[in-house]
Amino acid sequence: MIRDRIAGALRAVLPLLAFTALPLAAQSMDDLNIQLHGYATQGFLYTNHNSWNGTDSASGSAQWTEAVVNVSAQPESKLRIGVQARYFLLGDYGDSITLDWAQIDYRANEKFGVRAGKVKTPTGLWNETQDIDPAQMWALLPQSIYQIASRDSLLDHFGGVVYGAISLGERSKIEYRGFGGTRIISGSDSVFQPLRDAGMSVPNGIRGPVYGGALHWQTPLSGLMVGASEDVERPAGEILVGPMQGTISSGRVVSPDFFAKYERGRIMAAAEYDRTPVQSTIQLTGLPAIPDPTDYRAFYLMASYKVSSKLSAGAYYSSFINRRAAVSSSRFQKDWTVAGRYDFNSFLYAKAEQHFIDGTAVGFNASDNPDLQPATRMTILKLGVSF
Amino acid sequence: MKTSFRVSSTVGSILLALAVLFSLAGAAQARGQVVVIANNSVAASEISRAELRDLFTGATSSIKGSGEVSPVLQKDGPAHQEFLGQYVGKSDSAFRAGWRSLLFSGQGAMPKTFETDADVVEYVSRTRGAIGYISHSSPHAGVKTLAVK
Repeated sequence: MIRDRIAGALRAVLPLLAFTALPLAAQSMDDLNIQLHGYATQGFLYTNHNSWNGTDSASGSAQWTEAVVNVSAQPESKLRIGVQARYFLLGDYGDSITLDWAQIDYRANEKFGVRAGKVKTPTGLWNETQDIDPAQMWALLPQSIYQIASRDSLLDHFGGVVYGAISLGERSKIEYRGFGGTRIISGSDSVFQPLRDAGMSVPNGIRGPVYGGALHWQTPLSGLMVGASEDVERPAGEILVGPMQGTISSGRVVSPDFFAKYERGRIMAAAEYDRTPVQSTIQLTGLPAIPDPTDYRAFYLMASYKVSSKLSAGAYYSSFINRRAAVSSSRFQKDWTVAGRYDFNSFLYAKAEQHFIDGTAVGFNASDNPDLQPATRMTILKLGVSF
Repeated sequence: MKTSFRVSSTVGSILLALAVLFSLAGAAQARGQVVVIANNSVAASEISRAELRDLFTGATSSIKGSGEVSPVLQKDGPAHQEFLGQYVGKSDSAFRAGWRSLLFSGQGAMPKTFETDADVVEYVSRTRGAIGYISHSSPHAGVKTLAVK
């Protein structure tokens, strides 16, 4: 099984590497600035009750492993070509090697650049970097917006991104991103967990066009950035309910996001609000359409402090609610979190995090938790190495 | 009664976690003098603090009057620590986390990194557009120095 997965990943990656090598063959290795980087993390989870995302966290679980390998080349200062593969395991999710991104990036100047291929979708404050553990202080970003069991499908798309920055004087600028293409949400993604819990499956996932943009304003107040983004998509796919077949479609989903971040010296503070209203419809052959509307509203507030050159500590409050769901503890989730990160050296780090969670809307599947409790405490320890 | 017990327990857990983390804190870094050097192809003779910070955090790849330039890093040492503290405003771990963020999201490549001042001077002297930093006392023939405004 593992061998098949590795072979599948290699089949996807090798043609891309060959493709990247073609225009580079005439140059020396040093000229190409070929770089190989990677990282690996191992997490340990413990919850006082309720298993989280299919892990056996209520008994203590180490089912959270990631490993990433990145190869890139920069044959000239304006052109970069790269590919990144990832092994991801979190409880019921992943246990496979996938292509994170594979792209060609041409940056003409500060004002305009373009990247194409399988690319990260530049929405929100952290979407492009939410899966890069070495770059984050937190073991787990606020799950109200950055749901870890959904990220593999939602953080990228096949297509392109245009980007650049426009100066507004010495102390201010606006960075823009525009994107478009096709998004594929795999059938194993956690967004389908409620359907799976109800005995339905989406075997091939859903797919559809996606487009949108983002603006980041670096304000004249040093360290303060405020921004907004919007993601528009129209996914659809096949659904199976026992022997019955049908389609699931979401209509046009418009997801606005507003965010701000302040970084000065040892302090970082950030906030983000996101809304995703979805008018899903399940249409089984020969039966009337079944509407399944949801209206997700999420926000968080976070702050961290660099205690020393090696130690950071922080806290956040994260809130999620489905305004269209029936009133119960599975309709919402509130999460108070305290966290710390210690860097032993440039390569090795450890993270510790304590979550105080009220509600079960994110990560607590009914199928894994027949005796689901409305509140959960979760402790996370994580060790990471990068090169 | 039950509520107040839960709050006390929560605060206790937070304080315990912070106490463990604070006890692992490292020592402060020593400081020396640092000088910014550039390949002779770089037209500018001075660079602003904001440009220097943006260049060495990957936020920009050009400076006023010189077009495309590329930053060159040191792995560690007094010059590296002072440069980060004085001009970038980040610790080494936060600085590298920023570059890893660009690297692993496909938005940038890691700058060339060298062990010693001499290695930086040698690379900057032969690489068009390269900008690095070294200790003030290190020899730097074959490169120009940039005044930081």
